[in-house]
Amino acid sequence: MSRNVLILLGLLVAGALYPLTGSAFITVGISVLLFTGWATSWNLLGGWAGQLSLGHASFVGLGAYIVAVGASQFGIAPWWSVLISMAVAGVLAAVWGKLTFGLRGPYFSLSTIAIAEIMRLVAINEGWLTGGASGVFIDSLPEPFGIDLFDKTAQYYLALLYAAITIGITLFISSRRFGYQLKAVRDNEEAAMAAGINPSVVKLKAFVLSGMLTALGGGVYGIFLSFIEPHLIFNLLLSIQIALTVIIGGRGTIWGPAVGAALLVIAGEIFRTAFAQANLLVYGVLILVVILVLPRGIVGEYVHKLVRRKYAKRA
Amino acid sequence: MFDYVSFFQNLSNGVLIGAVYALIGVGLTLVFGVMRTINFAHGDFVVLGMYFAVVFNAVFGWDPYLTLFLAIPAGFIVGALMQKYLLARVIDAKPETMMLATLGVSLVIANVLLLVFGGEPKSVNVPYAAGTFNVGEIRISVVLLFAGLATLAVIIGLYLLLNRTEVGRAIRATAENRLGAELVGINTKKIQAIVFGLGMALAVTAGVALIPLLFASPVTTGALFTLKAFVVTVLGGLGNIGAAIVGGLLLGVVEVLGASYLDSAYRDAYGLLVFVIVLLVKPEGLFGKSVKRV
Repeated sequence: MSRNVLILLGLLVAGALYPLTGSAFITVGISVLLFTGWATSWNLLGGWAGQLSLGHASFVGLGAYIVAVGASQFGIAPWWSVLISMAVAGVLAAVWGKLTFGLRGPYFSLSTIAIAEIMRLVAINEGWLTGGASGVFIDSLPEPFGIDLFDKTAQYYLALLYAAITIGITLFISSRRFGYQLKAVRDNEEAAMAAGINPSVVKLKAFVLSGMLTALGGGVYGIFLSFIEPHLIFNLLLSIQIALTVIIGGRGTIWGPAVGAALLVIAGEIFRTAFAQANLLVYGVLILVVILVLPRGIVGEYVHKLVRRKYAKRA
Repeated sequence: MFDYVSFFQNLSNGVLIGAVYALIGVGLTLVFGVMRTINFAHGDFVVLGMYFAVVFNAVFGWDPYLTLFLAIPAGFIVGALMQKYLLARVIDAKPETMMLATLGVSLVIANVLLLVFGGEPKSVNVPYAAGTFNVGEIRISVVLLFAGLATLAVIIGLYLLLNRTEVGRAIRATAENRLGAELVGINTKKIQAIVFGLGMALAVTAGVALIPLLFASPVTTGALFTLKAFVVTVLGGLGNIGAAIVGGLLLGVVEVLGASYLDSAYRDAYGLLVFVIVLLVKPEGLFGKSVKRV
């Protein structure tokens, strides 16, 4: 495990130095980091607990909206509003999970789409709360320690911090009791129950944690966009993007979401000129390739191969 | 005083639009019954049908309902080939793998359509688009009626196929018990290809029937139809064709009545709300046999 911590620290240093190169691709860096964070958060529920959610854009939207509405209408500083949004996301996830964890497999995924879609309609129609279909605009932000939060470099470091927090939490969990409980529930719910684990409680905890962390990233995204439209942010396609990032990278692995995010965001940027708005084509083609050729995902297949080699040597 | 005329007006609109939803739902539920997986690309097949009609209308000036004679066989063949060469490879993996594969197909179709046709919504102009005729004081739109009739015809055809032919018997057997069907000599791989083809043909029919009413746009319409198809099938109970028809009619009526008596901005939300409630209270569907959970 300590090797993973070293990798994380190394990546953090490399990530922190990246803006110093004066690269023109700083917004691409922000996208990669945000997707890394969201995908890592999704992975807690979808990869470790095995519940395939297609509604995580709701949490992104929640975070972004509470930060934006807080800043533009109530003058609340983003670091407070992001805490509020995490609390709201935690409660939402608890209720949502309580209601839907009786459902298995496709039924659970379908219910997440439906609930996310209802939230999108609420965000579009309840204009008094959200600014309605025209969206919310953040026109001023406080300057903590003289840092301008509208500056792309500052936003980059926020996104870097966010991605590091999510990976750090995953690393922390993976070697703890909770991590083993999650894997047990994913691999065989009945066997986990027989071993004295309550699957509903474990899944619920994973959902709450996953939702809160996604909302945290949503807050950073809100500052990054500074203009938020409900049909763009509460979008089913964003939920699908987050889920596919993890599945392509490798579900239930620590580095899978990060690898998936880097691959997909950069591929999306490269093909942006060729495909214009149709850049989700990359996701569609890659998911088919991964399913047919690498069913465990890119990192998942690699880890699987390492483990097999290790046991082959021992035998 | 309750306005009966407008109520029955709304009800008839709801039933007719619901018939098309039923057609979409029947395809999804048929595929689920045999494949035990949810086809995320189903809504995109509907959109493919819409564009099929748009292209034939723009190039040859065909009436959309005339293109059905080409669209149905084309949908069947493409669907069967897709199952045989792509999805059959993952059919024995975990059910969610299959679901993800269809999600991939969905993204590919939607984005290729976006590349080819652009993001502009497209439709077909037919001379009878605004035509109506009256039954008592209730006005019924000609296009909606055509859509309803096309649905009825296709569903009767499907019923006869499933209940009166040898292929239909094999399909029902495969849905009931795949291993058992294989043991009595049914080629279930072939049946799966046929069923996926039928599912796509049904979706394409719905798309063609809807094009005089709705605009086709590549990305959002597909996801919306997939969601509606889910709602329809889960309302009735996945895998049950009769129930999907009732579910479709129910969704149509709930949407239209909700939009006219409550808040029309939430038109799409009423169906979803009913859907979530049914999922939570009776996940096997309104007409499903209840299975005791351990």
